[in-house]
Amino acid sequence: MTTQPNDTSLATADESATPSSRSGSGPTGNVGRWDRLGSAALGGILLVRGLRKRSLGGAAMALVGGALVSRGARGHSHLYRRLGMNTAGDEYRDAGPRTDPVTVERSITVGKPADELVPYWRNPERLSQLVGHFADVTTWGEDRYNWRVYGPFGQTIEWDAQLVSDRSDAEQSDGDQPDATHSDDDLHWETMEDAPIPHDGTVEFRPAPGDRGTEVTLRVQYDPPGGTLGTAVMRWLDVAPDVLVGTTLRRFKSLAETGEIPTLEANPSARGAGDLI
Amino acid sequence: MSMRALCWHDVNDLRVDDVPEPELVNPRDIVLRVTMTTACGSDLHFIDGYLPTMREGDVIGHEFMGEVAKVGRKVEGVEEGDRVVVPSFIGCGSCGYCQGDLWSLCDNTNPNAALQEPVLGDTTAGIYGYTHAFGGYAGSHAEYVRVPHADENCFHVPDELDDEQALFASDAWATGYMGADFCDIEEGDTVAVWGCGGVGLMAQQSAALMGAERVIGIDRFPERLRLAEREAGSETIDYTAVDSVVDALKAVTGGRGPDACIDAVGMEAHGTGPAHAYDRAKQQLKLHTDRGEALRQAIVACRKGGTLSILGVYGLMDKFPLGIVMNKGLTVRTAQQHGQRYVPDLLEYAAEGEMDPSYLATHELSLEESPRGYDLFKHKEDGCVRPVFVP
Ligand SMILES: [Zn+2]
Ligand SMILES: [Zn+2]
Repeated sequence: MTTQPNDTSLATADESATPSSRSGSGPTGNVGRWDRLGSAALGGILLVRGLRKRSLGGAAMALVGGALVSRGARGHSHLYRRLGMNTAGDEYRDAGPRTDPVTVERSITVGKPADELVPYWRNPERLSQLVGHFADVTTWGEDRYNWRVYGPFGQTIEWDAQLVSDRSDAEQSDGDQPDATHSDDDLHWETMEDAPIPHDGTVEFRPAPGDRGTEVTLRVQYDPPGGTLGTAVMRWLDVAPDVLVGTTLRRFKSLAETGEIPTLEANPSARGAGDLI
Repeated sequence: MSMRALCWHDVNDLRVDDVPEPELVNPRDIVLRVTMTTACGSDLHFIDGYLPTMREGDVIGHEFMGEVAKVGRKVEGVEEGDRVVVPSFIGCGSCGYCQGDLWSLCDNTNPNAALQEPVLGDTTAGIYGYTHAFGGYAGSHAEYVRVPHADENCFHVPDELDDEQALFASDAWATGYMGADFCDIEEGDTVAVWGCGGVGLMAQQSAALMGAERVIGIDRFPERLRLAEREAGSETIDYTAVDSVVDALKAVTGGRGPDACIDAVGMEAHGTGPAHAYDRAKQQLKLHTDRGEALRQAIVACRKGGTLSILGVYGLMDKFPLGIVMNKGLTVRTAQQHGQRYVPDLLEYAAEGEMDPSYLATHELSLEESPRGYDLFKHKEDGCVRPVFVP
């Protein structure tokens, strides 16, 4: 990702106190990339540990973690850049609702045909496994899912989502956006009314060249929340979706290819058992 | 249940602690009772603080063997009581990389892939006891260790082999062997190997086994040079005793230079002269984390069109003479070890008496003594090549 000259984002401002700030450096930067890796790593650990702890302390951990991941991964805040904002955080506290949606998109290649992969995203148990690092998913009624995400501010964010298209009803869909590159296997869901963070998502399946399997793209588009949820959520949302979307795809690939997801559950250390990431 | 394990607490602070015993978590896991485990030069990178993402209390160690203690419900071909050696990088056996025998590139064994991606643009396989970016798995310097995808990662040790004969197939031997394999050795070839530590010695012996006409080992420690001569049958160069390693290599190869050069040193390279001073100063200032003397010598010494096989572990070296590589048409081959591809062959060589790496185990210590073992190893005291620990 390139750094725009005028990209004085929140994350950059936050880290300007540290000697490893990326601001002012060229594309190669003098921020040791190891240092950025260190930030990302530690941040990732804190972020996800925080999410798993489902508590106020966990929330703080997740926040610090998120900031570190952000710094480690990019050194700047893409959400704020997308929103065209370049001043410090306090100004957002009472900001009104945003209208610009934010899109997070990642792809992965899985060595299986699409028809074996689609069920992972429809079956609530499988889906719960894929997103088990940050959420629980249950189903109520056909193609309706309840999501509970354990947020960084000591609360549960909960919403309902509905699958609005899949192969079975592709024929009936009025095809509002016909696109030859999309296969009939693609899944699309939308949040239902009253979702605290309205969003929609798509999983696309395309055959990979040769015998490489299927290219799977997960795209989540959401409207950033307004003032009621405040800066903490904004910051969290700036980093979490990117990490969570990428990690969800990796977990999906591992489960589909090997039947299990790599884990540090019960992992021994002098800190105790388990490094849940 | 708790067990004893060697843990990293801070830079240059290793301690043996009580930690929880590992459990079966995924269906293809086993829990291994470690019977022998060894220190590796790459451990020094995080012990010295050059490699980030260690956390206080991490169990270290990645080169090991043992006896299977518990078996997950979906494991096939591995049973309780089996004596096995395990490669340090964890493969899944199913992804495209494992299927292509590129096991250290496995897509499915690093739970912390998100931490590597910002730097590498992708992820490596997970590894035991070697930072959180490389997976965060508890290491092998412990009484027990969890081994994921056991059917792909456990290799049965023939009864006639001692632990010392099989242990190094886990990493040092497989790495050295892979480095020699990269050289596509042909009749009459001369192979030069920088470093006469565990991996360098294994690379030299493997090169000879693959039919190299001459193998030249380069180091500065007299006892390591003697081992290279005695055990690997190598010629040797003490780089502190010559003005120029490159000139010395040219002199013994009729001016051509070695057909293949193996770097088994990595970022801990010691050297002499201004280039070394420059590297060391930058490393101490943390401006970059690599010294690259050995690699630079190898690039200049190598014959035109030759092969550069890089086994040393590097960080993000910012000064690499690519122009020389390009103008001399060198082929660069490198990887973390694809152990699963080589271990069966190595165990067969050992069983047939064609190669015996047990001389690397210069010091056998209990787990309780392992911090002292790392001291001996790091400072190369008392002729230490590899300390092995028996938990
Ligand atoms: Zn090693
Ligand atoms: Zn794999």
